[in-house]
Amino acid sequence: MARTGSAISGLFVMLAAASAAALTNQEPEFHMTSDRTKVGTEDTFHVDILVGNAPDGASIALPAGNDFEVLSRSESTQMSYSVGNGGAGVIKQLRRYTLTLRANRPGALTIPPAVLKTKDKSYKTEQLTIEVVSGRTREDRPRPRNPLGFPPGFGHLNDPFEDDDVVPDEGVAVPHGDSDLFLRAAVDKSEVFVGEQVMLSLTIYSRVDLASVDTVTMPKFEGFWTQDIQSPAQLSPEQKVIEGVPYRAYVLRQKAMFPMKAGESQIEAAEADINTGFLFAGRRVHRKSNPLKLKVKPLPGTGAVQNVGHWRLSVEATQTEVMLGDPIQLKVTLEGRGNLQNVQVPALQVPAGLKKFDPQTTDKPTVARNGQVGGTRTVEYVMVPQQTGTFVIPGLVLQYFDPESKHFEESTTQNITVTVRPGAGGATSMPSNGQPSSATADGPIKNQLVAGGLRQLRATARFEPQGPALWSRGFFLPLAVAPLALSMMLLGFGLVRGAVSKTSPEAMKRAQAKAARKRLAAAEKLLGSASTPAFYEEVERALRSFLEAKLNVPVTGLTREALDAVMATATVPASERARVLAVFERCDLGRYAPGMGEASARNRTLDDAAAAMEAWP
Amino acid sequence: MIALLLAVLLAQDAPAPRYTEAEAQSLFNEASEAYSRKDFATAQAKYEQLIKAGMGGPAVLFNLGTTHLGANQLGPAVLYLERAYAQSHDEDIAANLAVARQKQGDQVVGADTAEPFLQRLAGAMNVQVVALAFLLTWYLGFLLAFLAWRRPASRWWFAIAASIFLLVGSLLGAAVGVHAYVARTVIEAVVIPETVKVREFPGERARVAFEVHAGLKIRVMEETGRYVRIRLPNALEGWTEKEGLVEL
Repeated sequence: MARTGSAISGLFVMLAAASAAALTNQEPEFHMTSDRTKVGTEDTFHVDILVGNAPDGASIALPAGNDFEVLSRSESTQMSYSVGNGGAGVIKQLRRYTLTLRANRPGALTIPPAVLKTKDKSYKTEQLTIEVVSGRTREDRPRPRNPLGFPPGFGHLNDPFEDDDVVPDEGVAVPHGDSDLFLRAAVDKSEVFVGEQVMLSLTIYSRVDLASVDTVTMPKFEGFWTQDIQSPAQLSPEQKVIEGVPYRAYVLRQKAMFPMKAGESQIEAAEADINTGFLFAGRRVHRKSNPLKLKVKPLPGTGAVQNVGHWRLSVEATQTEVMLGDPIQLKVTLEGRGNLQNVQVPALQVPAGLKKFDPQTTDKPTVARNGQVGGTRTVEYVMVPQQTGTFVIPGLVLQYFDPESKHFEESTTQNITVTVRPGAGGATSMPSNGQPSSATADGPIKNQLVAGGLRQLRATARFEPQGPALWSRGFFLPLAVAPLALSMMLLGFGLVRGAVSKTSPEAMKRAQAKAARKRLAAAEKLLGSASTPAFYEEVERALRSFLEAKLNVPVTGLTREALDAVMATATVPASERARVLAVFERCDLGRYAPGMGEASARNRTLDDAAAAMEAWP
Repeated sequence: MIALLLAVLLAQDAPAPRYTEAEAQSLFNEASEAYSRKDFATAQAKYEQLIKAGMGGPAVLFNLGTTHLGANQLGPAVLYLERAYAQSHDEDIAANLAVARQKQGDQVVGADTAEPFLQRLAGAMNVQVVALAFLLTWYLGFLLAFLAWRRPASRWWFAIAASIFLLVGSLLGAAVGVHAYVARTVIEAVVIPETVKVREFPGERARVAFEVHAGLKIRVMEETGRYVRIRLPNALEGWTEKEGLVEL
């Protein structure tokens, strides 16, 4: 903007000079006004004292008192020229004193009148009553008007007195008592998400000459990760107007802060020792900034994603077709805005056929012109194929919360397909420096087939209905006991039957026949022997033993007649007696007569003997 | 004839399958494909469908346990792999079970690694096969004894054969008895949740003595209300809510 203020002022001066003679001796005008009637103890307000046509040598006493602190004072003079009815010019001089005040206490406070003294008279303005409350009564104030601003109708012109370099700073509260030099801390956001950047600025506001700053004690930033953005060795001022009062602002520190946990965070006051003035006129003052409060909101969702900022992920492989054993370098790059130290780059999942070595991570933090922290993280992987084939390295997915869009975003990379071919070259092992060697000490690298991990799933199955164990079924026990019980029953049945059958005639007959056969068993063995007499003697012996058993008398040595008499005495039927005697006859005959040695003769004798024994009554 | 009778009896006791063989194989294949895509939840759901339909078996249980292991769900992984191993002492099942136990978070200090003899015997046998073998040898033994009685001419041969079969049958019967005894008296379970509190007494106010974690196999000693008394392999005992355990 072009500076036009001095030219316009010059115009008024020329008009005043031309009409100096027309200046008349008039009664002075003397008023005091305020732009506010109700203020807060934290507010500033303006009091204008207007003096018109003040006589030469007049002096003014501006209002004073303990209830208000005068933050600034300015003075301006305005002259106007007008032509009266008689054609004579009239020059009017108007002097304006502007005070910027702030109340020291609440209540209905009175601004005492200003006093204008001339040689022979004293003038007083009316006193002003201001209602003062604690704190602030309003947030926004209109920009201070230029006391020498353009009159109505000239609004389209730029204000010649407006300074472009002076920045109004309405967010800064001027402290009581230290209004000339104070330290202020400010953050660019009052509400942030966990992990979102917030900028803290520590600024010295001064209306006095600043020599140096000795020590700066920053607060402990508990619950924050911080990074210095600006810590100037040489302080450079910037003009700022706070509530109408011009200040020189020196940025002392700037820090990027990243809250690590949700909740209300309190940032304690910073302190600084400041030297003002020059040489022997200088003095050292200690100033303390204001504490700050910051509301830290948790990230939406389940909390699984912790990365905050705006990030972009990319993956680049040096080569995708290699010989077995040749190394592959793969670079994962993460770049963007946010806390680089806290961001988690997803780990690369490498197929089993590629041997992955520990990656090397390089961080390159950056700070943008607007103070936004960010940077680039590079993770370099080295992989050595252990097997031939085609391997797919799955793409990476980075999820992050973008505080600007307030949404979760995702940055993904594509899959990388690596083809490994068999070959004689390649590294055999990783040396200690971590870089693969291309030397082959033990001959060509082999395709390594390594087992491990979980066993593979079954591809086929027998879908048998799974019932309870066989032994737990109801039928099992009866089935197991059944043969044992059946055997016992058979045995018992046999015993009973045997006991019953012993008393029946048939059974007795059978038993007798059995006994006879038993007695004749020795004779049976001699059936085929060469000695005929021996056979017949054995048959005779068996029959005699049978008779002795039945008759209970010895029969050996008895004649045929005597034997017959014994049997008759025992009431043996005649037919049986004859049969027995016939067998004895055959035995006698068999020992001496020829032809009795034939098998048929022997069998007949044996059968006759058996029949005689079986038929015994 | 005995085998036929057994088959009929077994078929009567078994749950009726809801799928045909082809349908079951298709479901099985879908589950395996889901596993290969690392879609463990889908794979588990399909294997469980087969088990609920009464069409489980060592292979289905092994796959289901391995799927849980792949999803890092140790509790169900150990449960199904143990069940599979109980049905088939397969090398693969044992290998994956070993992997699951390696991942398990508890170290039972001073545990006697060897189980009691009867438990080992019961665990080592395929009880279905042993029970079937017992019935066959037992019946054959008695049949041969009968023949020895009725055929005096070959009595000795039959008697010797009958003695051998009856002896073998008796041993097999004893093994079945051991299995039945262990099954009735030794109740084992697996911890399913990530962490289970074990208290000194059954009750919410009782002091927590220690914690056990998913996949630990424990023995259930007794039950009262919603609490069971558990015993670890090193004889450490305590009470815990039975909801956290699943019986093998």
